[in-house]
Amino acid sequence: MSKLSDLIKSYKTSDWKTISLFFLIMSFFTVFLLIPILYIFKGSFLVNGEFTLFYFSLMYSDPFYSQSIINSLIIAISSTILTTIIALPMAYFMVRYDFRGKSLVQGLLLIPLVMPPFVGAIGMKKMFARYGAVNLLLMQYNLIQQPIDWFAGGFFGIIILEALHLYPYLYLNLAASLANIDPTLEEQAENLGASGLQLFRTITLPLLIPGYLAGATIVFVWAFTDLGTPLIFEFTKVVPVIIFNMTKDIQINPMGYALTVSTLLLSIFFVIFARRYGSKKSYEMLGRGHIIPRVRKITGWKVPLVYLLIIFTVAAAMLPQISVILFSFAEEWFLTILPASYTLEYYKIAITSPLTTTGIINSLKYSTFSTLIDIVLGVTIGYLLARRQFPGKDILDSVSMLPLAIPGIVIAFGYVSTFTGTVLDPFFDPTLLLILSYSVRRLPYSVRASYSGFQQTSVSLEEASLSVGASPFKTLLYITAPLIMANVIAGGIMSFSAAMMEVSDSMILALKEQFYPISKAIYSADLRLGDGAYVASALGMVGTMIVTTCLLIANKLLGKSIGELFRA
Amino acid sequence: MIIGGIDLVEVVLEHVTKNFGQVTAADDISLKINDGELFFLLGPSGCGKTTTLRLIAGFYKPDQGKIFINKKIVNDIPPYKRNIGMVFQNYALWPHMTVYDNIIYGLKIQNVNPDSRVKKAKEVLKIVQMEPYALRYPNQLSGGQQQRIALARALVIEPEVLLLDEPLSNLDAKLRYETREEIKKIQKALGITSIYVTHDQSEALSMADKIAVMNQGRIEQIGTPLEIYNKPINRFVAGFIGETNFIEGKIEKIDQQNNLLTVKTKSDDKIFANDIKKPFTIDQDVVCSIRPEHIKVTKFENHLNEYNRFKGIIKNLNYYGSMEHYILDNIGTVDVKATNFNPEDLSNKIGDQIYFYFKPDDVDVFDLK
Repeated sequence: MSKLSDLIKSYKTSDWKTISLFFLIMSFFTVFLLIPILYIFKGSFLVNGEFTLFYFSLMYSDPFYSQSIINSLIIAISSTILTTIIALPMAYFMVRYDFRGKSLVQGLLLIPLVMPPFVGAIGMKKMFARYGAVNLLLMQYNLIQQPIDWFAGGFFGIIILEALHLYPYLYLNLAASLANIDPTLEEQAENLGASGLQLFRTITLPLLIPGYLAGATIVFVWAFTDLGTPLIFEFTKVVPVIIFNMTKDIQINPMGYALTVSTLLLSIFFVIFARRYGSKKSYEMLGRGHIIPRVRKITGWKVPLVYLLIIFTVAAAMLPQISVILFSFAEEWFLTILPASYTLEYYKIAITSPLTTTGIINSLKYSTFSTLIDIVLGVTIGYLLARRQFPGKDILDSVSMLPLAIPGIVIAFGYVSTFTGTVLDPFFDPTLLLILSYSVRRLPYSVRASYSGFQQTSVSLEEASLSVGASPFKTLLYITAPLIMANVIAGGIMSFSAAMMEVSDSMILALKEQFYPISKAIYSADLRLGDGAYVASALGMVGTMIVTTCLLIANKLLGKSIGELFRA
Repeated sequence: MIIGGIDLVEVVLEHVTKNFGQVTAADDISLKINDGELFFLLGPSGCGKTTTLRLIAGFYKPDQGKIFINKKIVNDIPPYKRNIGMVFQNYALWPHMTVYDNIIYGLKIQNVNPDSRVKKAKEVLKIVQMEPYALRYPNQLSGGQQQRIALARALVIEPEVLLLDEPLSNLDAKLRYETREEIKKIQKALGITSIYVTHDQSEALSMADKIAVMNQGRIEQIGTPLEIYNKPINRFVAGFIGETNFIEGKIEKIDQQNNLLTVKTKSDDKIFANDIKKPFTIDQDVVCSIRPEHIKVTKFENHLNEYNRFKGIIKNLNYYGSMEHYILDNIGTVDVKATNFNPEDLSNKIGDQIYFYFKPDDVDVFDLK
């Protein structure tokens, strides 16, 4: 009881503006985040008003479901392993070694971020097709006699596309951890006689674990829940595609709910595990002042080895982009290694045909509004967390970070189940729900960006303004706002670019062509026979260009710290 | 000079209390700061001095008590309407504005016309000797220069009161020394009522008109630097200001006639003090405080005066050029620190047997509790 009375007392002493803002934001989260999640849980455990675990048991017993779940797990695990193999050595070379062309490589390594894997899949499918460029090339040099089915019916294709798109997330996390290791820790170990691989295994690697887990979680959950890539490969026996198909009969079949709940629990489990275990393994660096990482020049036999590895990685990472670019410009690309001739025709179609222009305009519209919501909410929440004391602060903190652990497909499914039959019914007009789903999912980035802006701006800068007579509003206008502006805009641009190429929410929520955002327009273009895949590639490139421009602007604004926004 | 108070500005706190959750940061603070005074709040970290300053600035509201500035109650007046200048510990210069823009910001807010803005900015830059730096950005200035600009920015709005929150703590020792003099000079020249928070006792002793020594949210003693150092009213003040030797004992005899108090230590040594005005009783547990510089060390017994003579061994001896610092063994069980300024005879060594003595006048006796 005393706790309750303390709480009531603390409400009385907090100022009412803060409290009402807090409740306003919490009601937003309740309606557009918490209730949809509760709905999914309800739908999976309560069928016809009775509690049941039947649909969960079906995941075991029904071979179709169990095989799909196993497929998704294999995709997620293999993608994580593959990204580790790519990202770990890259992070180590980039942080610890100095070599010619390092800054170029640094940029090239991040290129996969700008193109979602399902777009890359369109190009890669073509390139690795039965009579695609790769097989033809190998047959021409008599390295193989028969064409190889590289992607094993799309399964390997998904894994490779996920890995090639996702390794930058792991790379950025690992590189940051690596740069953060106090060099004296390794020097001390060397001083005691450790070196080479032994040093790496006993000192460096353990210190990297928190960063690794944070990055690997993103990779695992993303690969498990990605809907676009399997759809392009027409590989239907994975969890996200089943959930996608089940949104169509969401009122009848509870299986979709059960699968969504399982996906959510899996994701939350990994996020929490990474947090908990990561923080248990994270050691406060005791070194004082700025840490200068140990950077060495590569010498001797290592030079060609390192270069070879880097070139191979960068080339592999850019393969999806290159294939899409080739595809989008190819007039005819059939039974030849490279396109026989090139054309701008598909770009013309991409920016003039009704389907694609609607898609581009819709995406711009949705992304703009969702970004505005993110900025307003992000700055307000960032302000409350950084500058105000009020009861419930911890709750606000966790709830606004919660979307990080919730896959897009889960939110989209939750929206469909919650809002079907209401004024927001997505079958009728999904505009508002698309905007909200985009903004809810990217809100953590926006909150984090403005929170760190407020954190970097010492409170005394504001107090100094108050003390010379400026009112709180003028202080906000002249002192705080200019100082956090770069962060806020950068966070906004990140939200915008993510929303532009968002897949899961778009696929599930946009059901009529007039509401299709760019990603669904790409998908439906790809399904069309004839020039479909060419147009889809061109449209994919248009989207990629918009995202790239956004990221370059954000990079300019934030300088080196842009990588932080992609880290967990 | 335009800058400077015309009114007589007093700051008065009456029974001011501020709690943060369970912690009482300022506990029943009462004090009066006179017009033109340079008043110091001095104490260890966490003693409530910064809280008290921020209460005066208006960043905190008192839970109880009243704050008066210029005879008006300001409890409910927000900081931006108090006309107070403040210099922050980290200077809080706005990084996105030049020195000049930092300085005229407050004038702009007050809608001072552009001509007099320029004039006032020039004037205040001259006072802090920073005229050539007007167009620089804060990150192009050294710590000492930033400190001056922070001071200029606080002064240019012609505040009724100037608040300084550990303004020198981020400067290196030499600069700190010079800047002390300068702040004091400017403060006196402008005659502005000022409150200065520090944990550095030498800063307080050398600059203050008056000092309030604070501990655990309370004011222990208010007085001039001379009073605080020479007549500390309790064990905390004696221990916090300067160095001292504490020796515990019991009151054995109170000799009103000869104005002499006898304290018997645990090892039956006797310490004599003139501190007879305090209401002591026989057998009361007390502690004697003797400053190291009041303890004289000699090789020869015949130098000794009548009271407070002891024989001992030099346990440790450090030479600092202008002084020698001894650890002596001992009075009872307590090692004694002694400082000898301008040492002439440098033949003392660790392990030597010596004699030491101090005057009853230099012994402060406090109740043990």
